[in-house]
This record gives sequence, C-alpha cells and structure tokens, in this order.
Amino acid sequence: MRYLLLSALLLSASPAMAHKIIADLFPAGDAVEGEIGFSSGDMAVDARVEIYDISGNKLGETRTDEDGFFAWTPEGTLPAGPLKFISDLGAGHVAEMVLPAEDLPGGSLPATPGAVELNLDTTSAAPVNADALADVVAAAVRNELRPIRRELVQIRERNRFSTILGGIGLIFGLFGAFFYFSASRQLKDAEK
Amino acid sequence: MHIVDGALATPVLIAGAAATAGGLAIGLRQLTTERIPTAGVLSAGFFVASLIHVPIGISSVHLIMNGIAGLILGWTAFPALFIGLLLQAVTFGFGGITVLGVNAVNIALPAVLAGVICRSFIRKGGRNNVLIWGSICGALAIALTTIMVSVSLALSGEEFNEAAYLVFVSHIPVMVIEGALTAAAAWLIMQVKPELFGLSQMKDV
Repeated sequence: MRYLLLSALLLSASPAMAHKIIADLFPAGDAVEGEIGFSSGDMAVDARVEIYDISGNKLGETRTDEDGFFAWTPEGTLPAGPLKFISDLGAGHVAEMVLPAEDLPGGSLPATPGAVELNLDTTSAAPVNADALADVVAAAVRNELRPIRRELVQIRERNRFSTILGGIGLIFGLFGAFFYFSASRQLKDAEK
Repeated sequence: MHIVDGALATPVLIAGAAATAGGLAIGLRQLTTERIPTAGVLSAGFFVASLIHVPIGISSVHLIMNGIAGLILGWTAFPALFIGLLLQAVTFGFGGITVLGVNAVNIALPAVLAGVICRSFIRKGGRNNVLIWGSICGALAIALTTIMVSVSLALSGEEFNEAAYLVFVSHIPVMVIEGALTAAAAWLIMQVKPELFGLSQMKDV
C-alpha cells in the first residue's frame, strides 16, 4: 500500500515544470507589449504592472488580461534611458523586465518596418499610403509571431531530464568528496 | 515556496544569510563520516522533490520534503538542504542566489525543529506511534516553512495576513502528501534500519 502510494506519486510527477516567473517585453509600434506567466504554463491573470524610468520615477501602470498579456502606451514624452516594468504577483513572486533604451516606443525607430522599402505596384489604380500599409503589415507580423514567441520562451525554460540528472550527479559527487576527505582523515587518525 | 530575487528587502536578505551561516556551521560540525552518505541521498531527494507538482485549482505547488530530512539528519539537514537549494537556483532558476540564505533558513530551520520534536516520539516505536508522529513531522515542517516565508515577505513590506493566508492555504495539499510520505518513510526506517534514528540520538545536541 505504501509502495503503491509512493509509486503513484512518482508517476504523476511532471519534471518539466517549475515555479519560475517568465516575463517578456516587446516593443509594438507606439506601445510596449509584454507577457507574464509562470514556467508551469499558468499565466499571471489581472496582475498590476508598474512602469518606472531609470531613476525610479513611476511613469504609469497597466494590468494583464486573462492570458497574462499586457500592453502599455506611454503618454507624453518618455525620458531617455531604459524603462523598467515591475509586477508583484504576491507570495514572493516579482517579475521584473527592462526595456532597453533603443527599443523605446515612438520617436525615431529605425527598426520599425517603416524603414523597409516597399515595392508597391505603382500602376495600381488606387494610391496606397505606404506608411499605413507598413503599420498594417507590422501589426499582422506581430500577431503571427506571438504564439511562436510564446513557445520559444517555454522551450527555453523547460527543465531537461539531463539537467535534473546532472544536478543529482553533482550532489552525489559533492557528498562523495566530503566522504572521501572525512574517511581519509579518520583512517589517518586510526593509524596513529 | 522559493522566494525569488528582488522580492525581499536587503535587511531580510542579510538576516537570512547570517542565520543560514550559523545553521551551516552547526550542521557541518555534526556531519560525521557515517552521516555523509545519508545527507547526500536526502539532499538529492530534496533537489528532485521540488520538481513534483501538486495541482491545486489553476495553480500548483511543489513538494519540499524538508520534514524527512530534518527527522533523519537533525542539524545536518542544514548543509544538505542548502546544497539542494543552491543547485536548484543554479540549474532551474528556482529562487536565486541573493535570496539563498533566506530560502535556506526558511526551509531548513523548520526541518530541524520538526525533526527534533518528532524524533524522540518516533524512537519509542509502535506502529501507530511512528505513523502519527511521522505525519506530524512532515506536515509541521511545511507549516512552519509557510509561516517563515510569510514573515520574510511581511518584513519586506507585504501585508502579512494576506501573504500568510495565501501561502499557508495553498500548501495544505503538500502538508497532507508530505505527512503521508514522511509517516511511510519513518515506518519503513523503523522496520529495516532503525540505526538511522538511533545514530541521530547519539549525536543529538
């Protein structure tokens, strides 16, 4: 009976999970989008996210939706330097993300698709606004990439079986070394 | 159960590190040659136990297995659990290096206390006696750990009642499971290898 309980417990183990916070930020045009969740696959639902500048001044706050997703559109001009996004999920879980200065929303962003040369068909009857089109394309690409980005984060955070075995091996090796020194000291004492 | 980097105030971190250093000193002094293999096995067991998740509602908590370590090892549980925590922080990112001291004392001190309280009762033998005190030991270690985690959070500015309630309630399933596991382990040890408890008796503080 006891063994049954023990083996049932061991079988139900899911070694791929951990209570680690996964948080990610990505600039999305004028806004900053991000995602907060746990590596167990649960997302942080309705969590408050506060945004600070480099010197600790609070710039604003937003909340995550039911998928742990949040978006923040800065008002007014942003200070130079990186932004810090902090979300306290309670019970000792704090997510902290830093948005590098070069990724700041708005302003001159050479990396946005606006810089891409668009080969528009100039013979088409209706003139197309290249800027508007670029915005649409950028939004569409962002939406398409979102699930892939999420999966990438999950893969990166997965605890591989080899890591676990490696950890156990390290512990045994360490205690083996302890044992070696301790035993050889004892043998030396016995010889005296 | 593992508090992450950045959640605690600096004085709490320093106090935790100091307490852990003290616990390690006591534990290492008692780490005799005979006990090293046992400490190694329990350290590895603790390292893996955190990967076993108990789903509750939309969230999940993991096993800790500090009660059994305290029961068998006494103060030696401190270095054993510390090494397990260190490797968890390095390999899985559980907790973190700066909070290692706080996490170690939060997990190892309850283990030592629960072990010291329950071991003398278990040593008396008797099936029901061993099973009852074994399960008390497993559950008590977790309960004390949740309280210590709540206190660490409260000292860093979080509302105590709210944090304590959340952490304690979410760990009730863990207490039940670890109580059962510790009772089973204690009973098994009394059957096949009572020296594990007898040995600890001679080295008691």
